Amino acid sequence: MSLDLVRRLFATRFGGTGAVILVAISLLSIFAPLFATTGPLDVGLPSLQPPSWAYPLGTDSIGRDVRSILLYAGRSSLTIGFSAAAMAFLIGGTMGALAGYFRGPLAAVLLRITDLFHTLPAIIIVLFTVALMGASFWLQVAAVALAIWPIEARLMYGQFITLSEREFVLAARAAGLPTFHMIFREILPNAVPVVIVQVALDASTAILIEAGLGFLGLADPTRPSWGEMLNRGQEYLDPAWWMSVFPGMAIAIAVLGFNLFADGVTEMFNPRASANVAPKLEG
Amino acid sequence: MLRYTMGHLAQALLLVLGVVIAIFCLLQLIPGDPVQAMVGDMPVPPALRASLEQRFHLNEPFFERLLSYLSGILHGDLGYSINYRRPVFDILAERLPRTLLLAGTGYAFGIAIGVSIGIHSAITPHRGVDRAWSALVLIGYAMPTFWVGQLLVLLFSIHFGWLPTQGMGPMISRASGIDWLLERATYMVLPVATYTILEMTRAARFMRASVSETLEQGYIVTARQKGLSRREIISGHVIRNSILPVITVMGYSFGTAMGGAVLLETVFSYPGMGSLMVEAVRARDRQVIVGVVLVVACSVVVMNIVVDLLYAWLDPRVRIGSAKH
Repeated sequence: MSLDLVRRLFATRFGGTGAVILVAISLLSIFAPLFATTGPLDVGLPSLQPPSWAYPLGTDSIGRDVRSILLYAGRSSLTIGFSAAAMAFLIGGTMGALAGYFRGPLAAVLLRITDLFHTLPAIIIVLFTVALMGASFWLQVAAVALAIWPIEARLMYGQFITLSEREFVLAARAAGLPTFHMIFREILPNAVPVVIVQVALDASTAILIEAGLGFLGLADPTRPSWGEMLNRGQEYLDPAWWMSVFPGMAIAIAVLGFNLFADGVTEMFNPRASANVAPKLEG
Repeated sequence: MLRYTMGHLAQALLLVLGVVIAIFCLLQLIPGDPVQAMVGDMPVPPALRASLEQRFHLNEPFFERLLSYLSGILHGDLGYSINYRRPVFDILAERLPRTLLLAGTGYAFGIAIGVSIGIHSAITPHRGVDRAWSALVLIGYAMPTFWVGQLLVLLFSIHFGWLPTQGMGPMISRASGIDWLLERATYMVLPVATYTILEMTRAARFMRASVSETLEQGYIVTARQKGLSRREIISGHVIRNSILPVITVMGYSFGTAMGGAVLLETVFSYPGMGSLMVEAVRARDRQVIVGVVLVVACSVVVMNIVVDLLYAWLDPRVRIGSAKH
């Protein structure tokens, strides 16, 4: 069954490409030690060397191999992407599901809270949180999740409202099945395709927000990430373009991967739908 | 229409009030002594402590503090910046117009170009052209916008040396009149171009989707059967009907544009609201942070009202539909 799903994904316009990109960058970061020549924090190479055979992506201002940092930094960036998306799904999905299933005053309150968060641009919410609480790695993940959950809540609310009107749900309700069964066995499984798409898009948004935060020098300084690399590169844009160009490319490729994958999944479950458009939260 | 407008205004006011109260509550959660935070890393003399507590109502109960905070905002008192040694209101009044100028110009160009690309992509008979546009838009969409700004700086400022890299104008300028404007404009080219790319990719994606949807509608088939030419159908029927949802989406994404300012203004050292936010976060200048958040929230809410009203005005179905409920 899962093999069949993969085959269907590869039959879509972009889905296969997206999946390949995602698998490739995940493997490169997980097995970073195999592809990197030095550790991410090892200094001592000649500094500011342009790309060459010895250093394919050049070296940075304190004599580190850009290729090695890039591989290890992928770990932080992808971890933030996946975990922030998962956390946003948990918060937003729960809020949306509760509002959509129980409706009434509870829904009104939950939706107003969602609106409240939706009013502010994501990067502002993240900066505000980081300014108040500091920027340890997991706090950063939480801040990003806090910024993107409203989309997830809106989406889940919409799904619950639509699906609740469908015959099989009405039948289950008429049969007097318990609430737990209604939510987890009847409604939720039917919302899965839409949720997968949204979580993938959220992950790409999270990576972009992290990039912004790192670029501003506000990310956890003890863990190299693509955004943090761009922060170091900014100062050396003139003598060492490679310090900024390659991390930016890595971010763009990862984000592209998530978006193509999401497009593919949308097309797979709903061939007539045009490409899903994610609201770009990062600037 | 009047009732529709009033209803929207009331909701918007409540939303802003909600944001203010939420921010206020969050500020209460910060650990540590607020007086110490205001003064910085220095011992606080008891007399100063007493006067600060008196001035900022620190010893009063929660609700009274909230009320005095709210009434302060209504009187235009957003606090005092320790970092800049100026009232927060004055700093914001200076920075906001600059950001609006930058974001507004980029927005206008971006929507115009993006909508054109979207239309062309959707109606072109050549599949390859559509694919090429789609791929270009997707790639533009995936790149972090501030990084695009850096690439433009690399290319046009560092490599070709055509344009200045940062700031709003030269430190000392002797130009006046038109020359002054042109001088200023050269500093705006790269930031505006970056903004344009950001908005363009978004507008193009939405417009393409919207036009493709419109093309499948029954009235397009009817128009074709009436014998209207392709040009007449596209300019008279397709574009008009497809642009409505795009206006809404672009209006709602105004907040994102304000968020984008945070990073773009930092890349170009442009002294607007975004770079103010970053400076304030770095300096832990809380009053300024709260001020920026408030202004951004208000402008987003205002923009959303404008979009809703515009939409209701353009499309009567919306206001009639809402009157029924």
